[in-house]
Amino acid sequence: MTSTVDPISLPQRAASNDTEIDREALANLLVEIARNVDPDYRARFHGVPTADPRMETLRQLLVGREISELSRVSHLLDEPEQLASAVGGVLPSAAARAPHAQLGEALAPAVERAVQRSIQKSPRTLTDILYPVFLPAIRKSIGEKIDQTFQSLNETLRHIFTWHGLKWRFEAWRTGASFSEVVLKHSLVYRVEHVFLINRNSGLLIAHVTADNATSEDPQLISSMLSAIQDFVKDSFNEKEQSGLDTIRFGELRLWSEVGPFATLVAVIRGNPPEELHEIVRDVLLRIHDECSQALEQFDGDSSQLAGVETLLQTCVELKQEDSNQGFPWLVVAAVLLVLIPAGGWFLLSWQSGQRWQAYVSRLSTQPGIIVAEQKVRDGQFYIAGLRDPLAADPLSLLSGTQVDPARVHSQWQFYQSLEPEFVLKRLTASLAPPDSVRLSIVNDRIVAEGEAPDTWIDRARAAARQLSAGGPVFDISRVRDVSPEARAAEHWQAYVSRLEVQPGIIVAEQKVRDGQFYIAGLRDPLAADPLSLLSGTQVDPARVHSQWQFYQSLEPEFVLKRLTASLTPPKSVRLSIVEDRIVAEGEAPDTWIDRARAAARQLSAGGPVFDISGVRDVSPEARAAEHWQAYVSRLEAQPGIIVAEQKVRDGQFYIAGLRDPLAADPQALLSGTEVDPARVHSQWQFYQSLDPEFVLKRLTASLTPPKSVRLSIVEDRIVAEGEAPDTWIDRARAAARQLSAGGPVFDISKVRDVSPEARAAEHWQTYVSRLEAQPGIIVAQQRARGGHFYISGLRDPQAADPQALLSGTGVDPARVHSQWQFYQSLDPKFVLKRLVASLAPPTSVRLMTIQDRIVAVGEAPAAWINRARVASQQLSADGLSLDISELRESTPQELTHLRDTIQAVDIFFDSGKAVPGPEQLPVLDKLSNQLKELAKDAREAGVTAQFMLTGHSDATGRETANVSISAARAETVRALLKKRGVDPELLLVRGAGTFEPAEAENSRTGSSANRRVSVTVNFH
Amino acid sequence: MQKKICMLGGFAVGKTSLVRRFVQSIFSETYLTTVGVKIDKKSVVLPDKTVDLILWDLAGEDDIGSFRVSYVRGASGLVLVVDGTRAATLAVALTLRERAEAEFGAMPFVLLFNKSDLADRWAISDSEINELRQLGWQIYLTSALSGECVDDAFRQLASMVAK
Repeated sequence: MTSTVDPISLPQRAASNDTEIDREALANLLVEIARNVDPDYRARFHGVPTADPRMETLRQLLVGREISELSRVSHLLDEPEQLASAVGGVLPSAAARAPHAQLGEALAPAVERAVQRSIQKSPRTLTDILYPVFLPAIRKSIGEKIDQTFQSLNETLRHIFTWHGLKWRFEAWRTGASFSEVVLKHSLVYRVEHVFLINRNSGLLIAHVTADNATSEDPQLISSMLSAIQDFVKDSFNEKEQSGLDTIRFGELRLWSEVGPFATLVAVIRGNPPEELHEIVRDVLLRIHDECSQALEQFDGDSSQLAGVETLLQTCVELKQEDSNQGFPWLVVAAVLLVLIPAGGWFLLSWQSGQRWQAYVSRLSTQPGIIVAEQKVRDGQFYIAGLRDPLAADPLSLLSGTQVDPARVHSQWQFYQSLEPEFVLKRLTASLAPPDSVRLSIVNDRIVAEGEAPDTWIDRARAAARQLSAGGPVFDISRVRDVSPEARAAEHWQAYVSRLEVQPGIIVAEQKVRDGQFYIAGLRDPLAADPLSLLSGTQVDPARVHSQWQFYQSLEPEFVLKRLTASLTPPKSVRLSIVEDRIVAEGEAPDTWIDRARAAARQLSAGGPVFDISGVRDVSPEARAAEHWQAYVSRLEAQPGIIVAEQKVRDGQFYIAGLRDPLAADPQALLSGTEVDPARVHSQWQFYQSLDPEFVLKRLTASLTPPKSVRLSIVEDRIVAEGEAPDTWIDRARAAARQLSAGGPVFDISKVRDVSPEARAAEHWQTYVSRLEAQPGIIVAQQRARGGHFYISGLRDPQAADPQALLSGTGVDPARVHSQWQFYQSLDPKFVLKRLVASLAPPTSVRLMTIQDRIVAVGEAPAAWINRARVASQQLSADGLSLDISELRESTPQELTHLRDTIQAVDIFFDSGKAVPGPEQLPVLDKLSNQLKELAKDAREAGVTAQFMLTGHSDATGRETANVSISAARAETVRALLKKRGVDPELLLVRGAGTFEPAEAENSRTGSSANRRVSVTVNFH
Repeated sequence: MQKKICMLGGFAVGKTSLVRRFVQSIFSETYLTTVGVKIDKKSVVLPDKTVDLILWDLAGEDDIGSFRVSYVRGASGLVLVVDGTRAATLAVALTLRERAEAEFGAMPFVLLFNKSDLADRWAISDSEINELRQLGWQIYLTSALSGECVDDAFRQLASMVAK
């Protein structure tokens, strides 16, 4: 069977358009198939209906799925966005699979262009990207360049004015090289002694090369230690950079290290290497990395793989620059000197003057107690200003010897008190005047007093130490021993001993004081004063006195006299006395006594004083009695108011008769002392009134009792009254005068002035004066009445009663009183108390009172007030008074406690396991630091010191040891943060409480954020 | 052959005195307090080679937080030292080892219970030590005083790190 139509050609015919199916061709194909099935069909076939819907159905059935897939794909290709996201998904893996070389080549131009565009558009972006890469490199490079420049400069400067410098200048001029090149060539003398190649990872030594003659300890240990130190520095300062320690310098030795990716090269150089050496060392390290990179990377302690590097290192140790010695070019020296001398002369003069000034200034600044604040030189004048302690050396006197012209120096010094221990020592020495037994010295900036002193001095020193405690150096008086009791006892003892020594009949041979006991030995006459009884009143404790006295007979005339008096018992008529070391007896004695005296005189003649009895008259008792009687009678006769009429002696009896005035002396009484035996006297006296003016005067005086202002006297047998008296007395005197007028002497009272008003006023005045005198706090020095005016002067305490006010009620006319009072301070405790209240103004919580001459303060007061009271107490003690402040308690001012409570309420919180508070705690810390500073300042002003205890706490998770240490670490961190904010670290104490002081109870598994904290407690001292 | 070895242990467990008699040292003990590390050398002769153990004696700290873990970098082995009279130091040593291994990976170690001469104050039970031995750990009871087992421990560690 054949076909007229090639079936294959049918679908190949072009479709009417791209999207539509050639329906006609399809219909023909279907007819052809039908015809092959049924040949008759052809005959019935007349055409194909092109719009047959079944065709479309058939098409959907056959290729529907492909159509939808195709439309999705074509849609994907047509939409740029969709296509981009599809390619983006596979691009990374596509690039990864592409052959590297080809991809790199293909991308390179595009990337280059892109980078170029990026830089043109915004260079900033690329700079930011490259910054972390370039910066370290640039920084290091610049740093090295600067080092290099400085070193060259240093070397150049160092050699400019030296002999070498001149030599090298000449050489530079001769060879045409630059001066600095010549300097470098000569000055950098160095030698590389060791080179270590160290594994960067483990610090193990890879290789080590040593120069000839160089020695070192075990290189393996050194290399490890070097890398440990590198780690240490890096960790300690949080340095993130990969570079290591560049340079370690130790005197002549330098350690230069170059860090490579796997190994560090450390060169140990003695001397002064040029910076270029860095590059040489770096090149060696690079070469080692190039050649043995793999071996270096895999180094595990076995350096046999890396044997070759030693030869490379060897090139480093061979580097050196030795000092060269050349001949000495004398000609050059001469030429240069010729030029330099005149120029140098001028330069030297001006330079010298400045230099001297600088020397003077530095001398001043090293002077203790002198602080140079400012100094300058202008127009040849020198200006200096600063502070100086009055005890420091005089800046002007320091000028002498400096050759600075004082006339050109303008100084401005302000005095201040230096707290340098040396000056404090001087001031203390001046103010405390320590006794010789006390030595003041400076030990480690503390002033130490050593030795012995009485308690009064120690008290004053203690007061000084307290004053110093605010800011000054410590004044340590703990080594001063209080020797008051011993010293006083010794003084008393010495007083006693000298008293003994001046005692006649006592010879002190030896005396000493030991262990508070007193020993004395010597000789004493039994007749001398008893040494023990002399103890009384000396305040020496008799129980501590050990005496050893040996008796002896003193030949001092005084004692001989005593012994003679005791043994001879001379009669009253004999007087023994010492005349020029001789004992002289004078008077009258019976012959029996004279004989005994003579015997005693003979005994004494051997060594003792002369006993002279030649002045003793021998009298028989009768003769003596008669003599005595006559003496008595003549005595009576000379007596006014007594008239002896008759007297006689008969048979040893004495008779006398006469007249006597009752006011005359009693004859009987006159007997005493006459040695006339009264029993043998027989008297007969008759009374009479003597008109002798003398007796009249006596009688008038007895009866009128004239006031003191009236004087009675006898003038030419007349009795005259003179002076002033009140009218009442004058009246009585006038009556007496009338009585006397009959026969008696004249009594003249015309010269007595009537002074009644004045007298009364004077009486009032006296009352007033005695009232004043009884007044405490008032001392009347002088007072008098003259011309009806009263003058009084004296001292009065301002707190005493007002003298003017005391006038009222005394009847004294204030207008006639002229007072002159000077104020003084009474030491009466009552007044001292008043003054203290006025000057110290004690707070209401303090009560001052006097208890038995002592003033006692009780209650509570701020520390500052207590300090003032203490100073007052010390001042008072100098006046012998005492203000006892031991009962005072210190109170803390309200504002301090308020601020303290605020501070104590603050906690700094931490995250779990952290020792550094989070950033949210920083405002809390800022506020806390301000409060602490404020409280510290307030406390200081109130005279107390505030200290802050920072207590770190942790939550209960984890082990207790770790908790304790993290709590302490937290407290330390807060301390550091507060210190950084300006809180005085001296005031900050730190402790770690671990979990022992939780803010709230907690479950140990979760921990409590409230317990991870640092709390603050405030203490006042 | 050299190997870096770190000695770890809590405060005052006796690390320093443990090695003092058995090592070569040129650095004074003040390095421990200043730099935090002191370096000593112990040469151990093994049948096939000699191993120089470079011993980094790290300052003992009970405060794990201040342990400078960076010193362990590049170490081939550890010597953990425990004070046998203070049980807490075992925990410290183990924690230090954890810190080191977390940073630089597992490495061979020996565990020394030191102060074995203080028998009357011994605080670690035998059963506890046996449990640790069950884990395959190399454990030695040492005494810096008598020198007991110290050399054995270093020899053991040298053979472990030289493999």
